[in-house]
Amino acid sequence: MTVLFWGLMIFGLSFLLHFIIWKIHIPQKQTKALLEVFFSSLIVCTAILLISSFNYSRVRSISPAGFREYFHLYIFFISLMLAYIVNYSALEVDSPTLTMVISIANKGKNGLDKQELLVLMSDGLLVKPRIDDLVSSNMIYLEEGKYKLTRNGSLFAHIFIFYRKLLNLPKGG
Amino acid sequence: MISEYLLVLISIVSLLTNVSVQVVVFRCFPRLGLLKSEYFGFCAGLSSLFTISLKEFTAISLLNLIMYFSLSYCYFNFVNLGETARRVRILRELCDSVQGLSLQELLSRYNAKEIVERRIERLLNNGQIIFSNDRFYIGAPLMLWIAKIIMVMKLVILGRRYLDTVYQRNKDRDV
Repeated sequence: MTVLFWGLMIFGLSFLLHFIIWKIHIPQKQTKALLEVFFSSLIVCTAILLISSFNYSRVRSISPAGFREYFHLYIFFISLMLAYIVNYSALEVDSPTLTMVISIANKGKNGLDKQELLVLMSDGLLVKPRIDDLVSSNMIYLEEGKYKLTRNGSLFAHIFIFYRKLLNLPKGG
Repeated sequence: MISEYLLVLISIVSLLTNVSVQVVVFRCFPRLGLLKSEYFGFCAGLSSLFTISLKEFTAISLLNLIMYFSLSYCYFNFVNLGETARRVRILRELCDSVQGLSLQELLSRYNAKEIVERRIERLLNNGQIIFSNDRFYIGAPLMLWIAKIIMVMKLVILGRRYLDTVYQRNKDRDV
C-alpha cells in the first residue's frame, strides 16, 4: 500500500511541477526536459522520504520499508512516467490521422473531398517539419545537399528495422 | 526472498510474455493483423500476471496491474511507431541509401500523398471514416473521441489549439 501511495504521490507532484514549468516556459527539447523533471522529482522525494524515516518514527511507519519496496517504487514510477511521455509525444506534434479525422468532422454533414484533404495535408506540413526535427535532434545531418544518418539516427533506425524484420513487416509510415 | 523480488518484477515478466506471444502470434498468423496480435499478447501477459500475482487481490496486485498496463501501453506505442511514425520511415529511407538522399529524392520515396493514402485506407478499413458520393464522412467515432481528448490535453498542458500548425502553415502558404 505504501509503494502505491508514495508512487502516486510522487508522480502527482512531478506532474504538477512539469505543469507549472510548462506554464512559465515550454522547453525546446521537451522530452529531455520531461525526463529531467520527473527523474529529479523522484530522486529528491525518495531522498526526503528516506532521511525523514530515519529521523521520525511517524514517517517511518508510513514510508516504504527497505530496498525492495524502494526498488518497487522506482519501477512503478518509471512505468507511469514512460506511459505519460509516450502520451505526451502525441501533444507535441499533430498526428496526420487525427488531423484528418478532425478536418473531416469539422465539415459535418457536407463531408470532405479527397482533393481538399490532399491540399490540406501537404509535404510542407507532413514531411519537411519531420526532417527538420530529425536534424535538430541530431538523428540526421545535411551534407552537400544530401541528408545522411548520424550514429544516433542509424542506431534508432536499426532498432525498428530489427523489430519489423522479426515480424516480417514492410516499411511503415 | 526470490519470490518477494519476483513479485516486484512480475509486471516486467508479464510484459516480456506479452511481447513474445505477440511476436509469435503475428509470425504464425500474419493474416490476423498487427492490432489483433497485440490484443493476444496483452491478454497473455495479463493472464501470467493474474496467475502469479493476483491469487489474492492486495495493494501490491493493484500496483503490478497499473505497472503492467503502463508498460503494455508503451509497447503498443512502440509497435505503432514502427508502423505509422513519419520520422522512423524517413530514417529507414536514409538507412537504405548509403550516399544519402536530397530533399527531392526523399520526397519521391515518401511524401504527403502516400501518408494520406495510407491513413485513409486504415481509417476506411477500421470504419472510422466512410467514403460516399466522392466525399469522406465520420463513421465510428472512436478516433474522433481520441482526437478530442488529445485536443483538450494539448490546450491544458501546452496552451495550444490542435491544428494550429496546420492552419498557420496553410495561411503562410496562401500569403
